[in-house]
Amino acid sequence: MEYGLKPLGREKLWLWLMLVPTIIGLLFGTIGSLLATLTLSFFDWDLIGSPTWAGISNYDALFKNESYMEAFSNTLKFSAMYVPGVVIISLLLAVLLNRKIRGVGIFRTIYFLPTVTSAVATALVWNMIYGRDTGILNFMLESVGMSPICWLCTNNAMLSVVIVNVWGAIGEGMIIFLAGLTAIPRDYYKAAELDGASGFQQFLRVTIPLVTPSIFFQTLIAAINAFQAYDYIYMLTRRSGGDSSVPVAVFSIYRNAFHFFRMGDASAQAIQLAVLVALFMGVMFWWERRYVVYE
Amino acid sequence: MTKSLQKTILDTLAYLVLVIGALTMLVPFLWMISVSFREPAQQYSRSLIPNPFVFQNYVDLFRVLPNNAFLALVFNSFKISTLTVIGQILTCAMAAFVFAVVKFKGRNFLFALLLATLMIPPQVSLIPNFIIFKYMHLIGTQWPLILPAFWGGAFGTFLLRQYFLTIPRDLVDAARMDGASLFDIFWRIYLPLSKPAVAALAIFVFKDAWNDLLHPLVYLPTDMQQTTLTVGLAFFQQQLQLGGKFTVLMAGAFLSILPLLIIFFIAQKQFIEGIALSGVKR
Amino acid sequence: MKNRIATILILVLIAALLLSACGSSKPTSSGPVEITFMMWGAPEEQTVWQAVVDDFQAANPNIKVNVEVSDWDSYWTKLNTLFAGGTPPDVFAMDAPLYLDWQSRGALLNLQPYIDANPGFLDGFYPQTLMAYKLDDGYYGLPRDFQTITLFYNKDMFDAAGMAYPTADWTYDDLLSASKQLTLDKDNDGKTDQYGLWTDTWDMELFWSELIWANGGEIISPDHTKTLIAEGGARDAWTYIDTLYKEGIMPTPATAGEYGGDLFQSGQAAMTTIGHWAVPGYVASNINFGVAPMPKGPKGAATSVNSAGFVISKDSKNHDAAFAFIKFALSEAGQKRLAELGFAIPVLKSVAESDAYLKQPGDLDQQVFLDSLAFAHMKPVFKGYEEWAGVVGDGLIPVWDGEADLNTALDAVVPSADEILANNK
Repeated sequence: MEYGLKPLGREKLWLWLMLVPTIIGLLFGTIGSLLATLTLSFFDWDLIGSPTWAGISNYDALFKNESYMEAFSNTLKFSAMYVPGVVIISLLLAVLLNRKIRGVGIFRTIYFLPTVTSAVATALVWNMIYGRDTGILNFMLESVGMSPICWLCTNNAMLSVVIVNVWGAIGEGMIIFLAGLTAIPRDYYKAAELDGASGFQQFLRVTIPLVTPSIFFQTLIAAINAFQAYDYIYMLTRRSGGDSSVPVAVFSIYRNAFHFFRMGDASAQAIQLAVLVALFMGVMFWWERRYVVYE
Repeated sequence: MTKSLQKTILDTLAYLVLVIGALTMLVPFLWMISVSFREPAQQYSRSLIPNPFVFQNYVDLFRVLPNNAFLALVFNSFKISTLTVIGQILTCAMAAFVFAVVKFKGRNFLFALLLATLMIPPQVSLIPNFIIFKYMHLIGTQWPLILPAFWGGAFGTFLLRQYFLTIPRDLVDAARMDGASLFDIFWRIYLPLSKPAVAALAIFVFKDAWNDLLHPLVYLPTDMQQTTLTVGLAFFQQQLQLGGKFTVLMAGAFLSILPLLIIFFIAQKQFIEGIALSGVKR
Repeated sequence: MKNRIATILILVLIAALLLSACGSSKPTSSGPVEITFMMWGAPEEQTVWQAVVDDFQAANPNIKVNVEVSDWDSYWTKLNTLFAGGTPPDVFAMDAPLYLDWQSRGALLNLQPYIDANPGFLDGFYPQTLMAYKLDDGYYGLPRDFQTITLFYNKDMFDAAGMAYPTADWTYDDLLSASKQLTLDKDNDGKTDQYGLWTDTWDMELFWSELIWANGGEIISPDHTKTLIAEGGARDAWTYIDTLYKEGIMPTPATAGEYGGDLFQSGQAAMTTIGHWAVPGYVASNINFGVAPMPKGPKGAATSVNSAGFVISKDSKNHDAAFAFIKFALSEAGQKRLAELGFAIPVLKSVAESDAYLKQPGDLDQQVFLDSLAFAHMKPVFKGYEEWAGVVGDGLIPVWDGEADLNTALDAVVPSADEILANNK
């Protein structure tokens, strides 16, 4: 029998009153908008005239629309680099910090800084760092005899943007892993040590399996962030006409909806993004059942 | 090789990696601060220490945009972020309390529904919300940035509910004996006892609202008297880069992250515990 | 009980905060009609337009005009938001190439009835400027001023190199060899300190359309269905631009961006091709410069003419007042004021050829901009222009940044551009 306080008399009213904001949120903010976006995706509308029925033509157009397909594949490419990058680096950092060495607090603070500060502000300085002629990154490369790289030119922009995004996210991942690591009972390591396992073997046999819940959670968060990455991309790769050299799905939705006012196209793209997220979650939860170890 | 020697070597290696990593994390911030104190002629200089050291960029910052727009941007960001925090704490806490403590028909269904919305990307609501606000004639005002904070949210509700569940039920039963109402129990017992979780949520919400770019860009893209610092900075980027004034731009960037840095240094514990809370106690 | 009161107090507090958050809306004034006029431009332009507005208000005491000036990028974003939010400005500035996009959305008022009611109103206009706005069922906008592109040169840099200034007889070969001589690495650090030429090759207006026309090529077919930028002489034009970048005579888009855009204005480039709107900025930056017509190509001289115009929102509640303002701004008195502004060239022939325009302060040869009309092509106006320009401009950036091959990129750009034309039929 689940615990629960029974509302008395008029308290039923209070109960629902306290839920009103949440219910409004469901109606307008999330579930309602999902349905509204779905509906809009079957119409053509520029917000000035009146909407006209478009059937599935907006979805049909998605696959023929080169610039959207480019954006969609960029989102996938971006995620494929960003997610492993964040998960692996932040796990590594957490393992190092978990060695109970001095100065853990300072390191934790430093690694966490980009998570606190806005992408807009830090992107401004990254823009300078990445400069081909004047940036310090190329200055460093040149001083060790390497030739300068045009970091924000079309070919390298994706990599450069991934680097900045990873830089901005590992602090949060590190904290999550650190929490997972500290929760592992010391006895497990002692037992492994008695069995003669080396440090590295302990890491593989004890640490990794026991942080799978954190890995799962962190992968989920990183992937959701990757699908929605926008700020750094907007700030670092915008071009004269307002398009981006690394357009991603969210960028395309934003531009179609609020620049070209093609609400139908933008809605269809948003729905496709939602489907991608849902599919990904499905895979992740399947994976969780099979591989994630809960004590 | 002895155990302790092995440990020393490994610790040294760990330090090495951590220090190099920490420098990588810090350089952009140091560079930002450094450029912001340089003379414009020195903006591309490779030396980290500004020479000479000038404050002029911070003065200029308040002059480049007409009508004290930079001050307005700072004020708007504070106003919007604070209201967002109030809205989220209040509405999420109420819902979290009901879901955690009260028994009623449809509780599990409603809670599951709410959690399911975590999977809906926020971009999906962008378009319908824009249309709703259009018909409310609120485009070009700050309302579309504030109102949604007052309709709860899955993340905040979930976070607070998890914390509420840890509060001993005996307290509730005792209060009930004394004739406390549902709202009393929420207001007098749960909220005061949940200060750490509320603080963590407040910090998260403030941070996200302060750093949000997409929403202000959609609703207030150009009005420098109404919009937020993030949009203002993006606008600055175009303006100042045109004149090649990176020094002033960096001054603006540094001022815009300063409030969050201060909050972070004061409330680091809540920040980090909040993240751990959301990550581990699932 | 105490708690209820506390709750109510808190709710009231929040409500008050929320209300204050969004500020009070504009007071509704009775009496004079108030209209809003929005335009893009430099902040200085606000002052001059305010002068036009003051003259207008003196003549029409019951109409009040609010002028709002924003920079180019913000201007279009702002317009979009205002239109989407259902609160468009009454009168706003239009760039001819974007005109059809806006007109086809049903956002603009047909001005023909007003023109019919004012016989002879359009007689004094340069016909080239009217062409862009004329549609089958009339004018949905009217030109306000026009811009021809010319060659600007930094006299000090030419003098320092002991070279003669560009003349009307220059060919693109002359431009290339002069640019080469003027590209300098003064401190021998392997980085160019002075470029021979800087111009924008993203949009067609500043350089590449002129070059294509001078090579006998075309931009787009007359029925607006085919992109012709990769055919015949046009390809030679692109090869020429490619050479400028490859030889390091012109800074690549990435490098130019790093130094803040206009390298002619920052004194890092010896020449540029741009329109009259840049003059006040260059003067303010103390650049000692002169102008010459665009160089000649194998198929003779060519430049581009584009006009900014006025349009009225269909949803404006004050059509009459809005047109009254346009009419005034396009009258001799209004155009004279604009000429004094120094940013653009008046559309009224009588004003452009008067001292108001020709005898502006400084020693700049204003006649060059007018004479260029003789061989100017109209900047193309077609539906879907903005997206089309984006596909072409973005598609070629990798070439200019040295990351892609010109011909491959061109061959990829044209079908994408044609697809946009097809979608905007």
